[in-house]
Amino acid sequence: MTPAPAAITGRYYPPGSSRQAEAVLHVVGDLWQLRTPEGEELITSGRAAIELAAPLGRTPRKITFPDGTLFESEDHAAIAQLDGDSSGAALHRVEAFHPRLVAFIVAGIAAAWVIWRYGLDILVAVAVWMTPPVLVEQIDQGTLTAIDRTMAQPTKLDAETQARITDIFAQLVATLPEGDQDRGFTLYFRDTPRIGPNAFAMPGGTVVMTDQFVKQFGEDDIVAGVLGHELGHVVEDHGLSQFYRALSIFVLVAFIAGDTGPIIEDIVLEGNLILSLSFSRAAEAAADRFGVALSHEAGFDPAGLAEFFEKMSRNFQGESSWMSTHPSPIDRVQAINELIKALD
Amino acid sequence: MEQKFEFRGDAKEWFGIWIVNLVLTLATFGIYSAWAKVRRNQYFYNNTYVAGRNFDYHATGKQILIGRLIVFVGFIVYSVLGAIPILGLVLPFLLLFLLPWLIVRALMFNARMSSWSNVRFGFTGKPLRAFLVYFLFPFLSVFTLGLAYPLVDRAAKKFSINNHRLGSARFDLDVAIAPFYKAAGIALAWIVLVLVVFALPLLGTVTQMFQDPSGEPTPTQIGTFIGAFYGIFILGFLPALFIYQAFIRNAVYNSTTLQGGHRFRSTVAPLKLFWIAVSNAVIVLFTIGLMLPWAQIRLSRYLADNTSLLPGPSLDEFVNRLEDEASALGDAYADLDGFDVGLPV
Repeated sequence: MTPAPAAITGRYYPPGSSRQAEAVLHVVGDLWQLRTPEGEELITSGRAAIELAAPLGRTPRKITFPDGTLFESEDHAAIAQLDGDSSGAALHRVEAFHPRLVAFIVAGIAAAWVIWRYGLDILVAVAVWMTPPVLVEQIDQGTLTAIDRTMAQPTKLDAETQARITDIFAQLVATLPEGDQDRGFTLYFRDTPRIGPNAFAMPGGTVVMTDQFVKQFGEDDIVAGVLGHELGHVVEDHGLSQFYRALSIFVLVAFIAGDTGPIIEDIVLEGNLILSLSFSRAAEAAADRFGVALSHEAGFDPAGLAEFFEKMSRNFQGESSWMSTHPSPIDRVQAINELIKALD
Repeated sequence: MEQKFEFRGDAKEWFGIWIVNLVLTLATFGIYSAWAKVRRNQYFYNNTYVAGRNFDYHATGKQILIGRLIVFVGFIVYSVLGAIPILGLVLPFLLLFLLPWLIVRALMFNARMSSWSNVRFGFTGKPLRAFLVYFLFPFLSVFTLGLAYPLVDRAAKKFSINNHRLGSARFDLDVAIAPFYKAAGIALAWIVLVLVVFALPLLGTVTQMFQDPSGEPTPTQIGTFIGAFYGIFILGFLPALFIYQAFIRNAVYNSTTLQGGHRFRSTVAPLKLFWIAVSNAVIVLFTIGLMLPWAQIRLSRYLADNTSLLPGPSLDEFVNRLEDEASALGDAYADLDGFDVGLPV
């Protein structure tokens, strides 16, 4: 049975022109004909050569004739009949505001959670793997220069002490698995009266220990434990991972949800920095494990790291900036003691 | 007669399209996002009307996907080559010269894929000029402590607008520098005001923190410092950014003409725009993103409501340029995410 001839009113534009005029589309079987409201023929074509744009919300349906003539109409019901069961029409039906969308909301939230929990780690690992070593070296150099300019002075430690600690450092590096030894490990000493005792590592293998640290915690075992901890950060790529994590979330949100607008964009980036604190606690615990195992293997007393935290918590009772990004020293001492028990 | 821009999108309707886009994107490991982008652009373009004629977006999902794959492969090649010591130092400079060319390509692609009243837009900018306005000028303005920034910004706006066409009709931005400095001045004044009202009382804590060379700062000091930092950022810098952008938008629209005697008008109110952005952000965050479609519609509607066309004698005289249709094949895949100019509203 051929469908009844349809007459659909709308507007038309000649090929490549902005001239707009009213027109009526007449459909007889396979032939589609555009006429002026007065009934004069404008163009006729077989259905197969005509491009019918998929429905999208309540925006006008667009019909393009082979020569580029464009016809558009808001008569959605009539055009839907012509459209039949195209894939575009099916998509349009799914998108309609309907309780079934709840299923999509649930699926969306579930998928977002899976990405958050598992997908991010994979993305971050791939990104770390793809980062050119040159770039990482530049990060190290840049950071060290910035530290020297703002808060550090050349070390005032005597050569003998420096040699003793550099020796411990070299011993630890030599104990690392062979593949990890050539990651550009270098130890620097700096005098930093404002930051106080500290030791930190950069992604490219640069490790900095402050004079204040050596003066307060200079025993071999403690130095070995703390340097082992810092080497753990480098070997397990904690610094780069944290950076890529924040960046990945930012990119994923833009990619999946679309344009979030100016303020949410900022919140997603900055908020991730705050969220990364919880990730940094996990990283600290992992680095503790690494430091205990490494210092033990290199022949030091693995209790050195625990001793460091005990001293720390005695010297700076709750008054240290160290606390916000690091797990409580007492918990860490306990965790380390358990690790040491497991070593034997 | 003044013709107002009109946005006819509807939050419920867009929500359905958005959530289906989102789920299909996730279910296909991101591949569908190319088609999702097309559907999103089509929804917003097709719902934006002026003088009873709407915009349209013509790129296909396949084009966007292939474009993204090319960028992705290019990135991998770049990373691999970057690992070679000497190349690693040279490549960033090569990229600096390749990027302007890519940006111009992307602007061209997006212009050609957009239309209004059945006539395609076009873009005729040159890579050298793009290098100057997007890379060299901003870099040089750093040495003027940002004093030259309004000049740089105007150069970028002129580059973008003066090189766009609707069919064969050229857009022309002829704007004095005064409105740019005025906008920057008002934005700066806002920041100074916030600093005086909110930051001055905290100065004591901060100086104390830096004057005390022994030991570490206390958590209270750090808390105050971080709180003040975010407070100044949220109350000072963000609104200042909106103030600047709203004033510049108005100045740019009011000074832009389209060949054929057409002019434009923008009446965006800086603080109203900021209010919409802030309340949107809060609502979206508290609904774990589910109100994002609503927020996007709200912003689009506000911008459209505050934009109008002052048409010349006829809106029926625009025609496509034949060469656009011929050369469109050459860069069918030149989409570069983040370099869409988007709709002129």
